[in-house]
Amino acid sequence: MKTHVIIPVVFLAAAILTLSSCEDEISDVATTEAVKDITGSWKVVQLTRNGEDLSQRLDLTNFRISFNADGSYTLAEELPFIADAPGTYKLSDPQYPFALILQPEDASEEVEATFQFPVVKGKRQLSLSFSLGCESNAYQFNFERQNPDL
Amino acid sequence: MKPVTRTLVYLYLVIGLFATLFLVHCGLTALTVTVPEKAQVNERVTFVMHSGAEPRIEEPGTYTTQLVAGIMVPKSWNARENAVLTFKSPKGNGTMRMIPDAEAEPVSGVSWHQAAKRMFGIGPNLVDDFEWIVYRSTQSYTFKNNEDISFDVNVECNVGSENMLVRLGFYVGSSIESLRPEDTDYKKVAFSDVFEVTGGEGDLTDFVNPQLAVVQPVRSLDNDIITLNFDSGVTHTVLDNEEAVYLSIRCFDETGAQVAEVSEQTDRTRLTAIGGKRFRLDLWPRKYFNLERDQHISRLEYYYTDATGTQRVGYGNTEEPFTYTFRCQ
Repeated sequence: MKTHVIIPVVFLAAAILTLSSCEDEISDVATTEAVKDITGSWKVVQLTRNGEDLSQRLDLTNFRISFNADGSYTLAEELPFIADAPGTYKLSDPQYPFALILQPEDASEEVEATFQFPVVKGKRQLSLSFSLGCESNAYQFNFERQNPDL
Repeated sequence: MKPVTRTLVYLYLVIGLFATLFLVHCGLTALTVTVPEKAQVNERVTFVMHSGAEPRIEEPGTYTTQLVAGIMVPKSWNARENAVLTFKSPKGNGTMRMIPDAEAEPVSGVSWHQAAKRMFGIGPNLVDDFEWIVYRSTQSYTFKNNEDISFDVNVECNVGSENMLVRLGFYVGSSIESLRPEDTDYKKVAFSDVFEVTGGEGDLTDFVNPQLAVVQPVRSLDNDIITLNFDSGVTHTVLDNEEAVYLSIRCFDETGAQVAEVSEQTDRTRLTAIGGKRFRLDLWPRKYFNLERDQHISRLEYYYTDATGTQRVGYGNTEEPFTYTFRCQ
């Protein structure tokens, strides 16, 4: 008789403990925003000017930007961009960046691009927005990692 | 049968939530606009939007919202700084405030101004040098069933210092409805007839009529990506029957000295056909002309040619070249 009462109580207690431990894990994950790691080589997959898609109209195949773990970056192939020389980079915030800041090695001032890090169609994208000439002209470059497994 | 005391009794509580759905429909009537035919440069002009609300609400429900109004004007007017929007209605009059850039339009996730540009575009204009600017009433207004009203939104704005032909854009809406693409009841948009600004110096900027040659963006520097367009359907030219159209171009610095010339009939200069006798070529001037890092250009002169380079079309279908000046203002 007693076992009939005790066994369900034991199972109920175990279930409550299990559920509460899961809850803790979930809340821990949710409160820790990952540091944004942009190291690697990125290729342009989309380029817009004032919202107009120019991706299929310009040859973007060879343009790459590589961010290295030592804080340096390099550019491959010339393309209109906020920097035309290699240098160093940093994010405005490691976890919640709103800007990518580049310091070209031969320039006295830093240059800044609005930073977004979305996942598009299952792939991480690096999205940079800036002006090249007139401020009224807004460009958005969307990059994908060339070597996502590294 | 087991005794009742040996039986574990489980109680299940069911909580039901009942929501009352009021059918609310507060459509706006068609938008019309009063826009003068022309104005002098830098003149302060008043445009008027006319619309109304037709609330159809299941009583005793009500509908509370703020009035939203937008204008599409050339960027050169600097309307963000000098436009003033006011409204008059039986439910009250007031001045509208520009919605901050930082406030995202809920459906698109971008600012209201960008959302309006995405949704309404540039209407019947052919060249894009426009901005949408969206305003909102500072007060909310509550409507009851069948409380139909008409209202006017006045737009006072300086028209800038450039001669132009343009069709202006206007929009009215309801703040709580946002800019939902499928909605046709809560947002109304209208574009004006041709509005002319005269009396200024310099060439006429024609946003309305098809032109043989247009460069986009209208304002740019040599580090921008520019698009040179050729529309051979505008008038009869020597290139009427050509399937391949090429660019012949020279660039000049601030002193007027020629910096470079590209006059060849190759893939580098060939325009892409985009249908309807229209062609275009996208280029980044700094690379196209192989400029040194400290070298800048301020003006372009160009023709469109056939594959031999002997037949060419210039400004107004003459022997004068088309011109383009790099500038931001």
